[in-house]
This record gives sequence, C-alpha cells and structure tokens, in this order.
Amino acid sequence: MTRTTKPDDGGPTATPAASLRFDAVQKRYPGNARPTIESLSIEVPAGEICVLVGPSGCGKTTAMRMVNRLIEPTAGQILIDGRPNTERAPADLRREIGYVIQQTGLFPHRTIAQNVATVPKLLGWSTDRIAARTTELLELVGLDPEFADRYPAQLSGGQRQRVGVARALAVDPPLMLMDEPFGAIDPITRERLQNEFLRLQAQVRRTIVFVTHDIDEAIKMGDRIAVMRPGGRLAQYATPAELLLSPADEFVEQFVGADRALKRLALGRVRDLELEEPTRVRYGDPVAGVREALRRAEVPYPLVIDADGRPLAWLDDDDLHGERIADGIGSEVAVVDRDDILRDAFSDVLQHRVQYAAVTDHRGVVIGILSADAVARELAPPGPAPVQPAEAHHGTGA
Amino acid sequence: MSAPLAALGLFGDAIDVIFHAREGRAGGAQVGGLSDFGAMAWTHLKVVLASVGLASLIALPLGLVLGHLRRGGLLAVTVSNVGRAVPSLALIAVFIAFLGVGFGNVTLALALLAIPPILTNTYVGVTQVDRDVIDAAKGQGLTGAQIVREIELPLALPLIFGGLRTSVVNVIATATIAPVAGVVTLGDPIFSQAVYGDAGKLAAAIVVALMAIVAEVGLGAAQRAVTPRPLRGTPGITRRARFLPTLRKGAATS
Amino acid sequence: MSLVLAQSGGFVRDRSAGASGQDACVARDGVCPSWIAENFDRYVEPLQRHVLLTVVALVIGFTISFALALLAHRRRWLVTPIVQLTGILYTIPSLALFFLLLPLTGRGFLTAEIALVSYTLLIIFRNVITGLDGVPADAVDAARGMGLTDRQVLWKVEIPLALPEIAAGLRIAATTTVGLATLAFFAGAGGLGDPIYADLTFKSNVLVAGGLCVLLAVVLDLLVLLAQRLLTPWTRAATA
Ligand SMILES: Nc1ncnc2c1ncn2[C@@H]1O[C@H](COP(=O)(O)OP(=O)(O)OP(=O)(O)O)[C@@H](O)[C@H]1O
Ligand SMILES: [Mg+2]
Repeated sequence: MTRTTKPDDGGPTATPAASLRFDAVQKRYPGNARPTIESLSIEVPAGEICVLVGPSGCGKTTAMRMVNRLIEPTAGQILIDGRPNTERAPADLRREIGYVIQQTGLFPHRTIAQNVATVPKLLGWSTDRIAARTTELLELVGLDPEFADRYPAQLSGGQRQRVGVARALAVDPPLMLMDEPFGAIDPITRERLQNEFLRLQAQVRRTIVFVTHDIDEAIKMGDRIAVMRPGGRLAQYATPAELLLSPADEFVEQFVGADRALKRLALGRVRDLELEEPTRVRYGDPVAGVREALRRAEVPYPLVIDADGRPLAWLDDDDLHGERIADGIGSEVAVVDRDDILRDAFSDVLQHRVQYAAVTDHRGVVIGILSADAVARELAPPGPAPVQPAEAHHGTGA
Repeated sequence: MSAPLAALGLFGDAIDVIFHAREGRAGGAQVGGLSDFGAMAWTHLKVVLASVGLASLIALPLGLVLGHLRRGGLLAVTVSNVGRAVPSLALIAVFIAFLGVGFGNVTLALALLAIPPILTNTYVGVTQVDRDVIDAAKGQGLTGAQIVREIELPLALPLIFGGLRTSVVNVIATATIAPVAGVVTLGDPIFSQAVYGDAGKLAAAIVVALMAIVAEVGLGAAQRAVTPRPLRGTPGITRRARFLPTLRKGAATS
Repeated sequence: MSLVLAQSGGFVRDRSAGASGQDACVARDGVCPSWIAENFDRYVEPLQRHVLLTVVALVIGFTISFALALLAHRRRWLVTPIVQLTGILYTIPSLALFFLLLPLTGRGFLTAEIALVSYTLLIIFRNVITGLDGVPADAVDAARGMGLTDRQVLWKVEIPLALPEIAAGLRIAATTTVGLATLAFFAGAGGLGDPIYADLTFKSNVLVAGGLCVLLAVVLDLLVLLAQRLLTPWTRAATA
C-alpha cells in the first residue's frame, strides 16, 4: 500500500465518528420457532472496532444488518450517537453508514470509479469533488489510479475487496458495517488487507462493526469483541486481552481455542518489545573492523545494509574472510514491520535460517532486531503476561 | 355494440359447422360436420407427426453428437436464428415453386421448420450437463456411447422435450397453410372460403387453436414428467430460467 | 382445391415483363434476374408495410411485457398466471388468431397487430423476468445497504444488469415477428406475405419476397444486438 496520505488527511468531510448502542435488541424471523437474536445489548464507543464473532448461524449478520435497517428488529432499539436509528428514513440513514460485504457487492456494470462514486452521487456532490474524492480513496486503499476506469470483472478478488472498502468510505461515514470483508480471500492477501485496514483505521478512526467467524481475525482487528453463541446470545463482550486471559465460560474458552496463550501473540506489536541492536555493516567494509565490532554485539551476526539503511543480508563466520566483505554474499534476512503483530512476526522469524528478524520502520530502514528468544520470553507465563493493553494497540505509531 | 353480438352469432354458427354438415356455398357437395372436420384434422395430424418425426430423426442424433463433442455450438445457434427468420409461408412457397405440391413436399418443408428448436435444445441440453459428472463417468470407465445413453440423454431429456413441444406447436400452426400445396389440412376452410363460408373459416381456426393448445399442454405435462423433481419450478420461469440458457443464446422458446 | 385470393390485400398477380427476352423465363416460373430488377419497385410498399407491422408490434409488445415484468418482479405470485396467460396467446397459431379476431375487430391493421403483439408477450416477459432474477443478489444488497431507494435499485442496478437478457428476448421476438407478419395479409393488413401468396409458383417472386423477409429479420436482429453492445460495455470488458 502506498501511504502518501497524511494522518490528518481525513478527506473533505471529516465528520466525527459515531457511537453505537444495541439496547435489548431482539429479532425473530417469521416462521422460526426461536428468536435468532434473543436480547442483545452492547455499546461501541466512537472510533472503535467492535467485532461480532461466533459460530455460523449465530446471528452476527442479522445483528449487523439491523444497524442500517436492512433488517428491522422485533424488539429493542439501536442508537447511533444516542438517537434511535428509526428516526431517519432508511435510505437517508444508509447513505451515512458505510457497508462492506464479503461478496463485495460491486456493481458489475459500473467502473471502479463509478462504483466508488455511488453514494456521493446520490448526495449530489459536484463532479469535480467526486473525481477528487475517488482518486484520493483509491490511493488510500492502495489501488493504482489506472484501475479507475476498469470494470470489477477485470480486478482480482483482493483488489475488488479494496474497492469495496473505498466505496464504503466514500463520504467518510461516521459508522461502518463490515460483514466478513476479508472472508473469501487467500490467507496471505487477507493478512495484508488486515494490516492495511488497521493502518487506514488509525488514520480515519471510524466506528466499525466488523463481523467474522474467525477468532484470530477478531483478536487482531477488534478493540472489543462480542462473542455470540447460537441463539444470538452474547457470551462475552470484552477487549481481546480480557477475552484471552479470562474467558467468561466454557463456550468462550472453547471458541477461543486451547492455544490461547499463543493467540496472545496477536495482541502485541513488534514495537512493544525491546529490540536488540544489530552490527550494521556495508559491502566492502574491512573484515577486521567487523570482527572487532562483533565481539561486543548482542546479535552474533553482522547485518549488511544499503546506503539508505535498508537490510540486505546476514553474514556469518564463513563470510568473514579476506580483507574486505565481498559484494552480494550472506543469507536472506527476515524483515518485519514495527507495526506487525507478534504472531505474524514470530512465524516470519521461525521460517529463516538465522532466527533473528530485522525490524524496519515505514520507510524500510532498520531500527532494531527481533529475536525468537524475545518472542518466547513474551509468551512465558509467569504471572499475568506483560501483554499490552488492547486500547493501545492501534496507537498513533503510524 | 352490435358487433360483439353478431360475433357471438358467428361463433355459434362456426361451432355448429363442426358438428353438422351443411350444403356448401358453391352449391352441390355437403361440407362441414364431424366427418369432414375429422378427416381434415387427421390429415393435419399426419403431416405434423410425419414432419416432426422426420425432423427428430435428423436433429436428435445430430444434437446429441455435437453436444457430446461440445462442437458446433455456433451451427446449432445459427440454425435456430435463421430458422426463426425464414417465414413459414415463404418456405412452403419455395417448396411449391421448386419441388411442386404434395404430401411429401409439405412434410419436407415442415420438417425443415421443426429441426431448429429440436437441434438447439438437444445441443444445449447435452452441453449443460456438468462436466464433473462426465469426468466422473469417464473415470468409472464408461465409453462415449454409454455416457451419451446413460447420462447426457437422460439429463437433457427435459430440454429435448421442450424443443419437441415448440416444434410440434409451430408445425401445427404452419400446417394450416398446407392446402396451398394441395394437402387438405384444417386450413382448407380458410383457403376454400368460397365453399365453407365465414362460419367454416372460423370453425377451422377454432379447431386448429384447440389442437395447438392441447399439444402444448400435453407435451408440457410430458416435459414435467421427465424433469427430475428438484429441477421443477414455476412453469416457465424460475427453475427453467437457469435450466434454459437457450433463451439467452437464442434457441427456441416455450 | 380452389385458391381464393379474396383475402389478399390486393397485390395482383402481374407478370407483365418489360423486355421481350424474359418472357420465356417468366413463363417457365423461373428465377429471372432481369425481371426482378425491373419489377423490384412493386415490393417496396409491401416491405414498408412489413417493417411497420413488425416494429409497431415489437414496440407495443415490449411496452406491455416490460410493464408486466416490473409488476411481477416485486409480486412473485403474478409470474405464474402471467406466464400461463401469455403462454396460451403464444400457443394459438397466429393464422387461427387472425380469423378468431376477424368477427370482433374486422379486417385490417388492428387485427394483425393484436395477433402479432400477443405472440411477443411471452418471449419478452420471460426474458425480462429471467434477466432480473439473474442480477447478483450481493449487488442488490449492497445497493440497498448504501441507501439507494427501491426505485433507484431497480433502475440503476437491476435493469441495467438485466439488459443482455432483455435484448436476447427482444431479438427472438423480432425475428419471430418478421416471420409471422408474412401471414398478416390474411387479416387484410398487407406486408410481404401479400406478394408471396399472390403468385406462389413463380420462383422469382417467392425468392425476392422471402429474401426480403429474411433480410429484414437479420437487420432487426443486428440492430438490437448493436444497441445492446452499446448499452452494456461491461459485458465485453469481463471477457476481454
Ligand atoms: N430471512 C430470514 N428468514 C428466516 N431465518 C433467517 C433469515 N435470515 C437468517 N435467518 C436465520 O437466522 C440465523 C442467523 O443468521 P445469520 O445470517 O445472522 O447468521 P451468521 O451468524 O451471520 O452466520 P454466518 O457466519 O454463517 O454468516 C440462521 O439460523 C438463519 O437460518
Ligand atoms: Mg453472516
């Protein structure tokens, strides 16, 4: 993703995020014996991601669709910024709520630009303003402007998903609904989209209801997680850390999984750990000097960097002979971003021969080294694990 | 206001002609009555059966083979498009002009008209069979002929029946103009109006319309009977929408 | 059997040849290029009439079936009765329908149009419904979720996406109607059937009139296809 957009670049209509409250909401579909949702009460503070998670058929989609009144509740009410959503006509309400679904729902007969422009056009924006906003949004979600005039069928699944997000963000809605937005995408692309989305969220700070049935995705994306059980009952509503440390009951414990210690790795970021200092060297440096520096180093391998400080290769003992370091030698470096979650970084480290990863900032410059040991220490259970508070985990680092 | 009343009278008269013979307008011979209309209806039916039978003999095997090989889709679709565009009257006229009149020639002309719907529907019916099913059959060691017989034909049967139904109804309609080629079908009172009068003409129209509707309904029931239960839906729409891609490609309808 | 030309719209059998050389060819009922060249004029009026019959039937038929389809789209229970009703109209042979109508509407353009229009209804109605049913559910859901009103969803999303199917129906209806309009002269409405029927055994005559029919059908078919291509650029982008 090209992140040329600055954090304060919230678009021309930077409206504040809205708060959301489900107040004893019940939904019974006609003809069904039991209600799909018995009574749901949750509160989502403005600017946070609330993940609805639970097994298939537990009513996540139903709950989400009641917010923009695609489904009307049987009882109870939903308040947006303290006001019942029934106060507004459905069409008006929906234009101010972003909506992203798994199948993307892009209009096959409209170009990408026209798709993104749907709601601005409904709201009667000027052509110039729409054009400017479209370009800005495509850039924001990391799509080349050349995609603007293509049709959805000419894009890959991941690209379509980005368009779906851009379209939902078009009028900078105070509230977004996302139903398994990354559900139908391969794991690698999904992880990238998740990361990009979190960075995007750090910039735009919308209130988001995010539906998934993947607990790992929930832990990674959510500020708060609502675990639902079949019958639409709320099993637990908590921050990811609370959920992992003290599951409310057996159902939640099972749903979260036996590997919840490992899952805690999803809560921490690379930047939260204490990084080690590498011995930075360049190709052509005198070998003797490198050997000297290595004697005092924390990391037993010198790291070759380029002129801009970006990592190139690890050297080991065999590489340190002759007078100067020969060009192009060394083994591959695992590179992780300082904003990556520990789980992803750990798996990157383990996949390389040298079990250290170079940590870079957003320009790709090495700022430290992450060791497998450091991650393992983070996992070690003595006392309450030193997990970062969840609230901090989308901090202002970007 | 008086026109509808007069019309009712004429319709009553027309129904009377079907059941009771009367003196022809040109004088002399008796016309109308059950035996007269029965004979014309029988000839009508014969020419329909003969031509649709002939058309099936050609179109069914051809459609099955082309469909099985998944070749010649363009041919099947083109045949049906051109087939619709050729006016039936012109087709019969060409046959009269080039080959002369008679039962055989009329049968040939009508068979030409009946081929496109059967061919296209057979072809599409076979090609729409899921490739995975065919693969599985091949994997179990079925030969090409066995695949056609055991899998493709049964699964294509509903569409094939749809094609037959379209052809039969079309040919019943077109056989009405057979008298111009010397075959005395139910169209005769229309063309020999001088003999039969307005009532006779109307009577023929009624009988032909009934015959077409009976064929449509009867073959429709047969088509439903050969359609696997899960694929049945609203007659004519929901299921068949998916089941009848011919509508898009331009095959015969109904 | 007597051929009665009384039904004919007045196209008179007339083989009077200009140049004397053709007489032999004409007498043999042959295919006579020079006769065709000299007598082509006489087919112009029937052709114009044929075009009129066809186009009017298509416009009216399309309007009625499209309106019925929009009505039935949101009220599904209407689909079955409409299909059954238009199915019966589709089944009644057009020739029979002309004569069934004659006592009610008399001879002429109106009778012919009623029969021709009734024939198009089932074809177009069914294709419009099929097209609307084929619109991806997620696109409609997204449209509603973004705040398009029901009417906007229909006109901005559903109908555009159904266009290819609708055009396919229109093409079938167009070619069928051209063929059926050759029978319109039985109802006293003229058209290319008139000259065909006036001299059935004369090859030149049958070929020219029949050929014009096929040509007209092909032209109409291509026109609808062209319009569809222009209106639905995304269908080609998808396969490009
Ligand atoms: N329109 C409807 N009419 C009747 N029942 C419905 C309707 N929509 C959903 N349901 C039922 O409500 C229950 C919850 O459905 P919902 O789509 O909200 O589940 P979900 O949690 O989103 O599941 P998934 O993870 O599979 O998407 C299901 O049992 C479903 O069968
Ligand atoms: Mg769901």
